Amino acid sequence: MPISFVQCAQKVQQLHRLLGELEQLSSILQVEPLHKCEWFQLLEQKLLPQLGDDAFLVAAVVGGTNIGKSVLFNHLAGSRASATSPLASGTKHVTCLAPAGFEASHDLSAIFPGFELKAWADSEQALAESRTDWLFWRHSDSLPANLLVLDTPDIDSDARVNWERADKIRRTADVLVAVLTQQKYNDAAVKEFFRRAAAEDKFVLVVFNQVHLPDDEPYWPLWMKTFCDETGVQPQFLYLAPHDRRAAESNQLEFFERTWPVSQVSNNDEASAVNSVRPAGQQAGRRLREDLSALRFGEIKLRTLRSALELILNSEGVPHYLQRVKDRSAEFRSASELLSTHKLAEIDNWPMLRNGLIVEKIRSWWQGQREGWSAKVHNFYNAIGGGITKGWKLVDEQIRGPQTPPLEAYRAREWEAVLDAVDEVYSRLNWFKELGNPLLQPRLEALLGATTRQQLLDQIRSEHEAADLDGQLQDLVRTELNKFRNESPEWYRSLRQLDAVAAAARPAVSIALFVTGMGPVGNAVGHLAAETAVTSAVSVAGEVAAGGVTAAVGETWISNTASSGAAWLESRFRRIHELFIAQRAAWLAELLQKYLLGSLPEELAHAAIISESPTFQQIEQLACSLREEVAEVRNLANQLADGSEDNRTEIIDDQTTQEHS
Amino acid sequence: MSDSELAQLELFALVDELVRKLQQWSEGESAWAPLNQSRALVRRLLTRVETLRIRLESPLVVATFGGTGTGKSSLVNALVGRECTRTGRERPTTTRPVLITQSDTELKPLNLPLEQFEIVRVESPILRDIVILDCPDPDTNEAAASGSNLEMLRRVLPHCDVLLYASTQQKYRSARVLDELNVAAAGCRLIFVQTHADSDEDIRDDWRRLLGKQYEVPDVFFVDSVQALSEQQSGRRPGGDFAKLQDLLTTRLAAVQRVQIRRANLLDLTAVTLGKCREQLGRFDPAIASLEKTLAEHRQKLTREMARELKSQLGACSHLWEQRILTEVTTLWGASPFSALLRIYSGLGALITSASLYRARSGAQLALIGAMQGTRWLTARQKERTAEGRFEELATLGIDENLVREARLLIGGHLQDAGLESSLTDPRPGEDARLETARFESGFLESAKRRINDTIERLARRNSGMIARAWYELLLLSFVGFVLYRAGRNFFWDTVMDPAVKVLPMDFYVSAGLFFVLWSVILVMCFSRRLKRGLQSEITTMANEMAEQKLTSGLFPDLERALESVHRDRRRLDEMSLSCQQLRGDLATSPDLGSPRQLNGASVSIP
Repeated sequence: MPISFVQCAQKVQQLHRLLGELEQLSSILQVEPLHKCEWFQLLEQKLLPQLGDDAFLVAAVVGGTNIGKSVLFNHLAGSRASATSPLASGTKHVTCLAPAGFEASHDLSAIFPGFELKAWADSEQALAESRTDWLFWRHSDSLPANLLVLDTPDIDSDARVNWERADKIRRTADVLVAVLTQQKYNDAAVKEFFRRAAAEDKFVLVVFNQVHLPDDEPYWPLWMKTFCDETGVQPQFLYLAPHDRRAAESNQLEFFERTWPVSQVSNNDEASAVNSVRPAGQQAGRRLREDLSALRFGEIKLRTLRSALELILNSEGVPHYLQRVKDRSAEFRSASELLSTHKLAEIDNWPMLRNGLIVEKIRSWWQGQREGWSAKVHNFYNAIGGGITKGWKLVDEQIRGPQTPPLEAYRAREWEAVLDAVDEVYSRLNWFKELGNPLLQPRLEALLGATTRQQLLDQIRSEHEAADLDGQLQDLVRTELNKFRNESPEWYRSLRQLDAVAAAARPAVSIALFVTGMGPVGNAVGHLAAETAVTSAVSVAGEVAAGGVTAAVGETWISNTASSGAAWLESRFRRIHELFIAQRAAWLAELLQKYLLGSLPEELAHAAIISESPTFQQIEQLACSLREEVAEVRNLANQLADGSEDNRTEIIDDQTTQEHS
Repeated sequence: MSDSELAQLELFALVDELVRKLQQWSEGESAWAPLNQSRALVRRLLTRVETLRIRLESPLVVATFGGTGTGKSSLVNALVGRECTRTGRERPTTTRPVLITQSDTELKPLNLPLEQFEIVRVESPILRDIVILDCPDPDTNEAAASGSNLEMLRRVLPHCDVLLYASTQQKYRSARVLDELNVAAAGCRLIFVQTHADSDEDIRDDWRRLLGKQYEVPDVFFVDSVQALSEQQSGRRPGGDFAKLQDLLTTRLAAVQRVQIRRANLLDLTAVTLGKCREQLGRFDPAIASLEKTLAEHRQKLTREMARELKSQLGACSHLWEQRILTEVTTLWGASPFSALLRIYSGLGALITSASLYRARSGAQLALIGAMQGTRWLTARQKERTAEGRFEELATLGIDENLVREARLLIGGHLQDAGLESSLTDPRPGEDARLETARFESGFLESAKRRINDTIERLARRNSGMIARAWYELLLLSFVGFVLYRAGRNFFWDTVMDPAVKVLPMDFYVSAGLFFVLWSVILVMCFSRRLKRGLQSEITTMANEMAEQKLTSGLFPDLERALESVHRDRRRLDEMSLSCQQLRGDLATSPDLGSPRQLNGASVSIP
């Protein structure tokens, strides 16, 4: 054989592998799975097993239920290899006749992927009901060395698994022996099957079974015309088989050859003359098998392989799939953009921390900054003050009942904000769902469902309850104030000086405060101030940081030393507030992202760039180069065909001629 | 009128009643989307029912059905006894439905799309009570494209009453034909015929097995139409299965059977539709159930939360309880020395309370006073003051608004799962969430107040029995009596008998007065202690009872109402479905006619 697709085999294998990869990559895109695509099945069932191999021909008997497929198969086999039954859809599995020694040189299971191979034992096996697809094979001595003949299940009964098995064989086959009858030649299911066969450019032999001769003689050309027009099949041979059950059962059915298409000129008299009852007698029976054996295997193989390749590479095949992936990918891109522009987990209205809490932290930080005698003095008085305050607090508790610690109160308010935010996220998601991106719909519905909501709330609640607010605040204050110390050392130093002055004045101040009863009152004032706005909180903070020194030294002193600093201090204070709120809000946003949206945004983003992935591009290139090669082969074949005068006689020439050419 | 006829009529009336109920059910708009879908389905069914009702008394429409080439037209010709519809070897032969009827049959009431038919009027005994419709095949077209045989068939079949299903050895397992039959069979009686008896083998047993999964298959006829026709044309009567088939068509489809057959068809259709509706709605059952469970859980949680709060509030103000029980007791007792004393005590208590409240507002003042005893006392006053207000406050504060919002969030998810409108948990327009919870609470509070009053009354009655009262009155009066006795004896007896004894000085009366005050304080304290006996356990049981008590209005009234109506509609659907099944059993048609057993929901379509 001068031309072949052997060089394509590797590329096709690579294509298959890459397609598998791409499918895995693009699983989120919900493109129709590859193994359901006709072209991909063709790739797996026809091209992969057959491209690299030397020429052998697969011929399959196909057709509707109960029209005599098995009868014809038995005729081809020369024995009762497949069971026949008057009941419909009897044959459920495939029977294969292989020339002796074929399985030694070929791997049958590779030729018929998806089938479980079993050695043929008796003809009834193929009638058994089973979920797995079986293929029963046996040797036949009467077949040429490289011809496989198969009997298939029906293509139109209520057992749809039969259709699938027949479809698989159809893809693998090179030659189809189509069995038709008067009742079924125009059935939708039958036509559908042969339409596909025609698209794959199979070599088709038609056997019109159960023909009433000579009554039906004028009708069969009409039937054939309808069949060919509807399916696009161009049969190379046509045989008529008479309606003779007894002959069929005893495997003595006769086949009368007819020429098709009936030439236009010889329409009336001549047609009947040419196609008149021409009983070929016992010869016809032999003729069918011989005709099969006499086919020019190499050319037919080349032809079916080429058209399979073309089918895979044409607009319905790989490019179509790539386009689908690309389109879907683009849709995901827009969905992803939508998702990112409308930030789902956006949080506003986070509650403010009570000023007192921050003041307390600032104070404790400041205490850590004191050194030497100033620290000692302050610590001493603070200890005394602390004792008094403790007593006060006890009394206060007695009167007002146990109070929730401020941080816990804040936690409760935070929970309110959490609920707000979650509510908001859900209403946004709902809106998103109603926007109606069909790709996101199922995901969004799952997100909006009750179980996810319950889980989300539980998760956020547990994390919220476990959050160390105190520690977070302390860390924040420390980092902020350390920054302040490093950034503006003068301001820090002047505060230190102030503090030192305060330490000097401390005994007097404390005594004065104690005598006037201002100690506890100061606490009360601090308590009050904590509830008021930030502005006044700053002065309180200043006061407290300086250990109540303002009362004694006078506010003028502070304003004199750092009039510009007061505003600055205030902004610092605000900043701590804001930072804390931002920190907490970010915490929630992160949780929402993690538990609610999960990996959705990343998946979307990932899906959006699939069409730019190297796999995708490699497939594109491969398909392109394969297409070129196929075109080349086609040209070569055409040149060869031009060289010969008559295609048809060439093809039916016996094998000796084939070897010569 | 015979009994059986009467029973028949009664049955028909029941069928009509069922249709009326269906009509009623199918109206209205629900907040439950699946229900609306089901209703739309029922409305479609009703349009088809209408056609059946109009032509109740017209001849039955018998339509042929079967794959191409199975000899439907030949069968029709053989039945009629002459060539009236085209037969042939080309597939498909019949592309336009042929209606065969007697010349005097009125076709209008049948409400058929006559313009699409070829009408043949012939006289034949078989056409006395029926019209025959020779239909195109369902299996030469892949899709029901406009103008295709399949589309034509689908348009025509809903108008038919009886299907004459013809098949052959080659075609009886043809998937496409079986699928189409599955859709067409609901609302039709079926007759099964295997044709081509001349050349094919008898596969009726296998066919019956196949059909038996989905249909009631009474009898399958095995006929040779061509032979039967030629026999009739040559004046002979055909025999065998063909004669039986002819007999079936003339006797079992006679005029008297019409109403029954049509009603049975109608019931089949209804059963299909209702089955489909139930299936549609049933899919949401788990979601609805879990929604209700969550709702109940949240309600219970809220009630528990409130009861706990209530208990702590109630327990916090023992003084108030004392006060109220005392008041109750004094009103019970009316005028008596001890009750007068009690009244003075409680009045004084109120007076002191208001005065001290006025004085001690803030903690700072207290610190200045520095009185520890005062602190204790003030604490009690403060608690009391807040508790008094809390009975009212409870209505606005008691319920944790966060709990309600959590409930709304979660239930929102359930609503989405169950296909209910998400707006059902929204607060009513014009009212905010607070009002909604307040409404919930006010019901709770109303009953709480009632219970408190009951408890006070009960405690007052139990702890102030006649014996106890007599004791306290006696103890009080005995002191007064002793003082009077001392003073009287001194004045009237001792001073007279012994001039050395002096009349008791003023000091005696002052100290007696002091001791009287002391004595009465002791008595009052003992009594009020007695009154509070059993108060704690009363409060606990009261709060627990309230926790278990079901509140009259729920959290989300709209949602609860919607759920109620969902259940009501579901129940009605089940009832209708049940009565439909019963009627189907009662209204059995002739056992010679086949009918679908499992019904296919796709058959509900507008003719």
